[in-house]
Amino acid sequence: MPQKFSELGSTLNRREWLNRIGGGLGGIALAELLGRETATQAAGILGGTHFAPKAKRVIYLFQSGAPSQLDLYDRKPLLVEKHGQQLPDSVRGGQRLTGMSANQSSIPLAGSPFQFAQHGQSGQWLSELLPEAAKVADELCVIRSMYTESINHGPGVTFMQSGSQIPGRPSIGAWLDYGLGSDNQNLPSFVVLITKNKGGQPLMSHLWGSGFLASQHQGVRFRPSADPILYLNNPAGVSPENRRAVLDGLRELHEHQFAGTPDAEINNRIANYEMAFAMQSSVPEVTDLAQEPQHIFDLYGSDAKDPGTFAANCLLARRLAERGVKFIQLYHQDWDHHGGLPGAITNECRQTDKPAAALIADLKQRGMLDETLVIWGGEFGRTNYCQGLMTANNFGRDHHPRCFSIWMAGGGIKPGTSYGETCEYGYNIVKDPVHIHDLHATMLHLLGIDHERLTYKFQGRRYRLTDVHGHVVDGILA
Amino acid sequence: MRAGWFVVLSMIATCSVAAEPVQFNRDVRPILSDKCFACHGPDSANRAADLRLDVREIALKPASSDIAAIVPGQPEGSLLFQRITAESDDEVMPPPHAKLGRLTATEIDVLRRWIAAGAEYQPHWAFLPVEPVALPAVPTDFPTGIAAHNEIDHIVFAGLRDRSLSPQLIAERHTLIRRLFFDLTGLPPSPAEITAFVADNDPQAYENLVDRLLKSPHYGERMAADWLDVARYADSYGFQVDRERDMWPYRDWVIHAFNQNLPWDQFVTWQLAGDLLPQPTNEQRLATAFNRLHQQEAEGGSVEEEYRVNYVNDRVVTFGTAFLGLTLECCRCHDHKFDPITQREYYQFFAFFDDIDEAGLYSFFTSSAPTPTMWLLNEQQKKQQAEAIAKCKAAEAVPFGYAQSREAAIDDWLASRPVIEGPIPGEVLHLPFEERNAEGKFPSLVGENLAATSPGENTLTAGKIGEGLLLTGDHAVTTTVGNFHRYEPFTVSLWLQTPDMKDRAVIFHRSRAWTDAASRGYELLLIDGRLQWSLIHFWPGDAVSIQSQSPLPTREWVHVTVSSDGSGRASGLRIFINGQLAETNIIRDHLQKDITGGGGDSIAIGERFRDRGFKGGLVDEFRVWNRALTDLEIAEVYAPGSLAQATTTDLTGDQQSRWQQFYLARFDETYAKLQADLLAERKALSELADSAREIMVMEELAEPKTAYILKRGEYNLRGDPVTPGTPASLLAFPANQPRNRLGLARWLTNPQHPLLARVTVNRVWQSLFGRGLVKTAEDFGSQSERPEYPELIDWLAGRFIASGWDMKDLIKTIVMSHTYQQRSLGSATVMADDPENLWLARGPRFRLPAEMIRDNALIASGLLVDKFGGPPVRTYDMPESFKPSNAGTGEQLYRRSLYTFWRRTGPAPMLEVFDVPKRQVCTARRDITNTPLHAFVLLNGPQFIEAARVLAETLSKEHAGDPAAMLSAGSIRLIGREPDASELAILQRMYDRQLAWYREHSTDAAALVKIGEKPIDPALPVIEIAAWTNVINALMNHDECVVKR
Repeated sequence: MPQKFSELGSTLNRREWLNRIGGGLGGIALAELLGRETATQAAGILGGTHFAPKAKRVIYLFQSGAPSQLDLYDRKPLLVEKHGQQLPDSVRGGQRLTGMSANQSSIPLAGSPFQFAQHGQSGQWLSELLPEAAKVADELCVIRSMYTESINHGPGVTFMQSGSQIPGRPSIGAWLDYGLGSDNQNLPSFVVLITKNKGGQPLMSHLWGSGFLASQHQGVRFRPSADPILYLNNPAGVSPENRRAVLDGLRELHEHQFAGTPDAEINNRIANYEMAFAMQSSVPEVTDLAQEPQHIFDLYGSDAKDPGTFAANCLLARRLAERGVKFIQLYHQDWDHHGGLPGAITNECRQTDKPAAALIADLKQRGMLDETLVIWGGEFGRTNYCQGLMTANNFGRDHHPRCFSIWMAGGGIKPGTSYGETCEYGYNIVKDPVHIHDLHATMLHLLGIDHERLTYKFQGRRYRLTDVHGHVVDGILA
Repeated sequence: MRAGWFVVLSMIATCSVAAEPVQFNRDVRPILSDKCFACHGPDSANRAADLRLDVREIALKPASSDIAAIVPGQPEGSLLFQRITAESDDEVMPPPHAKLGRLTATEIDVLRRWIAAGAEYQPHWAFLPVEPVALPAVPTDFPTGIAAHNEIDHIVFAGLRDRSLSPQLIAERHTLIRRLFFDLTGLPPSPAEITAFVADNDPQAYENLVDRLLKSPHYGERMAADWLDVARYADSYGFQVDRERDMWPYRDWVIHAFNQNLPWDQFVTWQLAGDLLPQPTNEQRLATAFNRLHQQEAEGGSVEEEYRVNYVNDRVVTFGTAFLGLTLECCRCHDHKFDPITQREYYQFFAFFDDIDEAGLYSFFTSSAPTPTMWLLNEQQKKQQAEAIAKCKAAEAVPFGYAQSREAAIDDWLASRPVIEGPIPGEVLHLPFEERNAEGKFPSLVGENLAATSPGENTLTAGKIGEGLLLTGDHAVTTTVGNFHRYEPFTVSLWLQTPDMKDRAVIFHRSRAWTDAASRGYELLLIDGRLQWSLIHFWPGDAVSIQSQSPLPTREWVHVTVSSDGSGRASGLRIFINGQLAETNIIRDHLQKDITGGGGDSIAIGERFRDRGFKGGLVDEFRVWNRALTDLEIAEVYAPGSLAQATTTDLTGDQQSRWQQFYLARFDETYAKLQADLLAERKALSELADSAREIMVMEELAEPKTAYILKRGEYNLRGDPVTPGTPASLLAFPANQPRNRLGLARWLTNPQHPLLARVTVNRVWQSLFGRGLVKTAEDFGSQSERPEYPELIDWLAGRFIASGWDMKDLIKTIVMSHTYQQRSLGSATVMADDPENLWLARGPRFRLPAEMIRDNALIASGLLVDKFGGPPVRTYDMPESFKPSNAGTGEQLYRRSLYTFWRRTGPAPMLEVFDVPKRQVCTARRDITNTPLHAFVLLNGPQFIEAARVLAETLSKEHAGDPAAMLSAGSIRLIGREPDASELAILQRMYDRQLAWYREHSTDAAALVKIGEKPIDPALPVIEIAAWTNVINALMNHDECVVKR
């Protein structure tokens, strides 16, 4: 029986345990009894999903820094019309501003300089910055009514990734690994890919951390280097062959030790070393994009040949998805356009539009899109007014938590739809608001999990990804 | 399926519980707390049906339905029982929407029997005072070799006997010494120490070893590693920007305090309130850095007050976790759901921790330590500083005395009715704002090339004199002058008109930014319509600031002059309105360091980065002097010609003294010389101050801040004000103690306090056994796991208090017990049924903490640089961190892991793989995982490859040509024992295969032995050393090398 990556495993299987201790104590108590050294089972703590899942995995294309919804997805002709006029107090309604523009004495509205058009049979409105997304418009469900409470990046991204503004809670992928376990014994179930050489707001590793869950649930970051995982490769002067010889000897030592000291932990150690040896092949194999044919590189764009670019990461995400990795978290930074927005956002779209659309198309042509949930979005939105000085062809937008847009596609999502609406100023939501907790509840729902029943008891309280909130957004389900 | 469960459960109910009477704390409270209290517990805001089950009197009262929730003696007549056994989803408790599931048959049975027996409550065990424990008798039927060493064994043995188990025998000598060494010093025993101990037949040998290790300086290092997790110690600020900061003197103090065996009550008191002790020593003040170790933010645009509140919250939560074992953060937004602590009581704790002069953001543009701080001076610096202060005082006194000696001469001069002519000297800028020059700038009437720049949005309009400038508030007028030091006198004057009473507006400043630079520089602001004039190193704690008492009139021209005399004291700052000295209040009077630096080196008018500008304000005749103008000169600037007229009449009183001041400043060369001397002394002192290193500590404000209940925990939703206090459900606050952090520490360390000793002994137990007696080391509240041996915690806590909070005594007591010393491998049943070792039927066995794994490799190879304390060091893996930095060189690579640079957003990746927390928050317990990622670090990480190779070199020199001897010696160093014959054979075969391979791959051998900074001894054969490196490295990966058994 193959062992899974994160199995620390007791030699007793789950059924034997249940027999010993009585199943009435339930899954949580089981984990407590097993202890963290031996808690995880291949199937995750839930031992399966709560109901039939629509999606088997998630690829989350996180756009860090908060892309401007008003220049990409949320068309507001009124802002173009009133460009340069002051934001009416009645629209703002006492919303707190960040320390950056709170003290500005003038807050002029800024219309988008980019043209919007409708695309596909669904007539999805998209800006001219997204010509490639336009080609897969009928696959997308654009939510224009996302909102959050954070007004700054650190707490905002943390909220989006862990359901809390303060670092210390498990991230989405950690919850999934804890709840569902892994589908591939030779790869981590939660992999993180970050676009290389990006400036902008820094990312922090707690974003894919395990919080109070055991640390084996945290995301494993694959780096765009020869060592995608810390010290994955043998050192100079050690070949796979002589490494194998050492491991064979080490296994003999451990087996000998186990004969005298029959402690299950020793068997776990043996299994871990075998797993590590397997990963030395499986990780380089999955990260080696050279195996992809030219037409695939054409699809994702020329950047895809350069490891660590967003394009290469999108392609790698597909390869990881094919191999059963459950949660693939991409980060692309530098959307924080307080000033110089028109040039900067064009640049970011040039790097991200084609690969993201290619990922949708590629998953679709492989028949994987209907079981893979793809999400594109940032941590909050941007203001409808200009931050800093507005000139004829330049302006910036400040952070805006009250509304922003994301899109979802694939696994269980209604394709070619829009959800939610903002007011004509693009400042407030007027229809179908979706909170971050609702997004999380919906993601878990698509994966077959009742978000209220994936819990972990810590410091005397049952914690969930959705805290004590969250409603599944039925309106976007296929 | 369901029927099957039921059978199993009933069986359990019959065998394990039915035999004994139900005890509330052991059997009932866990069920009520977990399944009922969320809606029927202490939280008043979310209580359902007005029913509360945590208080007996209320639970027994009939509710509206006429049936009481609990009718003692009558389960079937109790509403509680009816509801938990109800069939329908509408009736049953807990309700389906709570998603807690139905109560199990066992749970229902427990509640039934409890009600039947009278439904007696007990207070939660951890809130009861620590009482003397009646020791059970030691079972007499245990196998030979098992004897109770002390009270710990009495309690554990009795528990084991109840389970029909017996303890294990004492572990083998080599296992025992290794266990003890790691537990007491974090390092393994040397081969010589192992040999000596194994051979030592003295019955006192073990105790002698314990005593010796407790005296080792490595003891403090080992203990500090655990405490630094609790204290959330790190070498960076955390959050988004996560810049580095110097807090390591605190870390060294912790090590020192453990080595000195500072009694725990003092260890705690110093950290909470060392600054409030009478005549605190530097060490006592340094210890309070504990409260400042929380994360801090500098991300642009963050709301300052939001983060200040966050910091205070972190202090409260850390206090709760570290000392009370209570999860106080629950009460930040609402009353606690499970424990008797209200939201008001949370903010009463908050009120203890917010009375320091701090900012919510640290300075992005400077590297200043956020206030309050203490200076870290060595003896020489202290002496220099004392001398410089004395010289300054002397230099300040001299001109004063000289001035008095000149009174007669000045009177003569005045009697001569001198004519005062010419400009006021020292003027460095005069912007009349009459017109823009060809380049669009505003020219200055004095100086060369001093024209000020301003965007066109600031427009010329009718001014006080000719034209003036109308400001937008978003655009600055930037000058090229004004980079004054704190010790340099200077004066600024201008005409201004404000359109309204500004809450806050920047009139002019020399600084880069507001909160982003902690306002470093100087500034004239309008605050609530009043002028506020400040010189600032770090706002608010290192600054001097005064504010005019009366608001400025609006919509009329006002002449404003502000000056600084170079003393750096509030008394040296002055504000003049329309030529008259304004009445002012002192806002801050604590300027320690200089006001230059941080960028923004020249005066800017009307706007500042992320601050509120002087929107709609008018300014005119903006003038700067590099001296403190006298009163008469300021009057002259306001009303030109007043000086010339003044001496035409006879002078009286106040006027006369102004003229004396004027004469000395303008005509007396000796006085000028004395002023120059004073400036030189002040400069020297200021430069000394700037060179002093600082560390964040606690320092109580003279006037405490008012704390408020914050609704829903939101920083800006203030409710009722609260005063410092402690929860009603715990020990009463001592009447004779002040309501400040010191009083809080006294309350906490009172021997009657139920929590501090219990929480502390539990963490020590956890550190030695891998698991606390209460597993949730951070939570002793009603949701915590009930300990298997509550009387053991109580006995240890009682002894700890009675010993005078003697930490070394506590540790010695535990490690002297048979329970600690027994073998770690139990019977197959015990291993399977009690994997976490709750019952203590075997000794501790768990994977070593990250630091010990690395330190073991370093000491075994002889690479360890055994040096105490100092700045953090960068290890080989720093470039692999999520926040990469360069690896260090030389001895930095070989220090104990405790000293590794700790960046919160990217701790050393090697340590992180082995479960160190990021230390973003107080952590009372680490995970212990075992994953394949560990193998990569130990097999491929340069630290371990190098250590293996260096050890191979040493062994090869010591036992050249004798592989068996080398293997034997290597095993002793790495796993603490000789290999047996089979192991020797396995290792020998491993070596032979490696040797054969490297003989055919000599370049690989050369590449392998080059790893690491320490070069290979050129006299040694490369191929053999390469082969040995891999064999030694295999031993580093052996279970017995990384697991404490």
